[in-house]
Amino acid sequence: MSDGLSEHAARNRAFWDRAADAYQAEHGEHIGRPEPRWGMWQLPEAELQVLGVVDGRDVLELGCGAAQWSILLAGRGARVVGLDNSARQLEHARAAMAAAGVDFPLVHASAESVPLVDSSFDVVFADHGANRFSDPYLWVPEAARLLRPGGLLAFSGGTPIETVCWSPAEDRLTSTLQRDYFGLHRIEEDDGTVLFELPYGEWIRLFRANGLVVEDLLEVRPPEGASSTYRSEEETAWARRWPMEQIWRARKT
Amino acid sequence: MGAALADGADLAGTEDVTLPEHARRNREEWTAWAPEYAGRAPRAWAREELTWGVWGVPERELRVLPERLEGLDVVELGCGTAYVSAWLARRGARPVGVDVTPAQLETARRMQAEFGLRFPLVEASAEAVPLPNASFDLAVSEYGASIWADPDAWVSEAARLLRPGGELAFLVNGTLAILCAPDEEAPPGTELLRPYFGLHRLEWPGDRSVEFHLGYGDWIRLLRRCGLEVVDLVEVRAPASGEPHPYPALPERWWARRWPSEQIWKARKPGP
Repeated sequence: MSDGLSEHAARNRAFWDRAADAYQAEHGEHIGRPEPRWGMWQLPEAELQVLGVVDGRDVLELGCGAAQWSILLAGRGARVVGLDNSARQLEHARAAMAAAGVDFPLVHASAESVPLVDSSFDVVFADHGANRFSDPYLWVPEAARLLRPGGLLAFSGGTPIETVCWSPAEDRLTSTLQRDYFGLHRIEEDDGTVLFELPYGEWIRLFRANGLVVEDLLEVRPPEGASSTYRSEEETAWARRWPMEQIWRARKT
Repeated sequence: MGAALADGADLAGTEDVTLPEHARRNREEWTAWAPEYAGRAPRAWAREELTWGVWGVPERELRVLPERLEGLDVVELGCGTAYVSAWLARRGARPVGVDVTPAQLETARRMQAEFGLRFPLVEASAEAVPLPNASFDLAVSEYGASIWADPDAWVSEAARLLRPGGELAFLVNGTLAILCAPDEEAPPGTELLRPYFGLHRLEWPGDRSVEFHLGYGDWIRLLRRCGLEVVDLVEVRAPASGEPHPYPALPERWWARRWPSEQIWKARKPGP
């Protein structure tokens, strides 16, 4: 434990503080386009309609990185707060905010323990953000606590199917079942990070246990010819057959 | 409920002409399979405990159904030999079994006589059930309409039949098991043999049956489109030991210990 962080949150913070510069250099352009887009293949929010209207809403981004999303939502009238567990990522966010001429609060914290008050947001969302690097059994209750009644939780991430088909021995994605599905939760990566993924039923029970009604599970299929700085052509071809990315939507009752 | 049903009498099907092609084909196949299932029916009817799926996992472990079954009006969609309805009736529920295959209902009737347990049986497709709106507290389907009827049609029928506050629980094959299922009649291995995107209608070269399987997101959207709230998805894990099941195309125990061979969706119609 350091700063009250869980062991995996401390490890993930150390990784992102180390990796933020290289990450933004590699992906900054891909994920820094002028309209909000989701995930590894940058599908437009205008098409997916995950968040809906944000004008005048209080919006919290969990794992904002360089705040590409938050800056765009602020430009659309949202009252945004960007949270990230990495100080170095937040430095990138501050620079990008200054460049865009927008200002909103940034919070340096893990999504597992957010220093913000209950029922203060209309939307809590993440795009491959804190949801990937935080324990769902800790961050989903936090997100539910932060939402007002009727508020929306939306987040994109990987899928149980991809996780199960990843071969740790060969360190590559396969089209065969490799890992067990039952018990899926914490995944230790070679780079020292700890990722989290849950079986579909576990997600649903976790939402319900925290007063969230399941609204949708969008299983992203990249369009033909889609490119990504995150994925090889072979992996994108895989993702055209089986879901590699998904977006949950749940609403607080 | 009409007086005829209250008496425990059966309703004969009148939908023959309008049955869609897949329902006609499934009725033909189930007519051919009926003797085999008739052989299994006495044991299924005699079971003391509510169990789910081919691994016989007890309801007391999975907790899918409402805690109090007594007095609940239940419709079983694709009841086959109606062993699920029989369990429910013994626990004080008032089940109605619906099935499109007369030969299966014949077995159900014989079991009713043998076990001295009567409840109405309706010959109909779960896609068009000749029963009134909002007349059931619970709709169930275990390897029934949940697999052999078009989900768009049968789930909206289930939602129509439920009272506000009523629940729907149905068991289907695990999605990974379908993705890994070979065309020939053999259990799934570990290779993904068919794409996930576009999962819907599935046919097997070995017979003329038509199955329907959806991806997770499609199930969620369908349930919500039908006005139901998604309550749970219970992914069934085979117990570590026990008798093997008799179904050659379903996952074996080693597979079903690692990945879900069956999943049970639970949904609820909003209301009191």
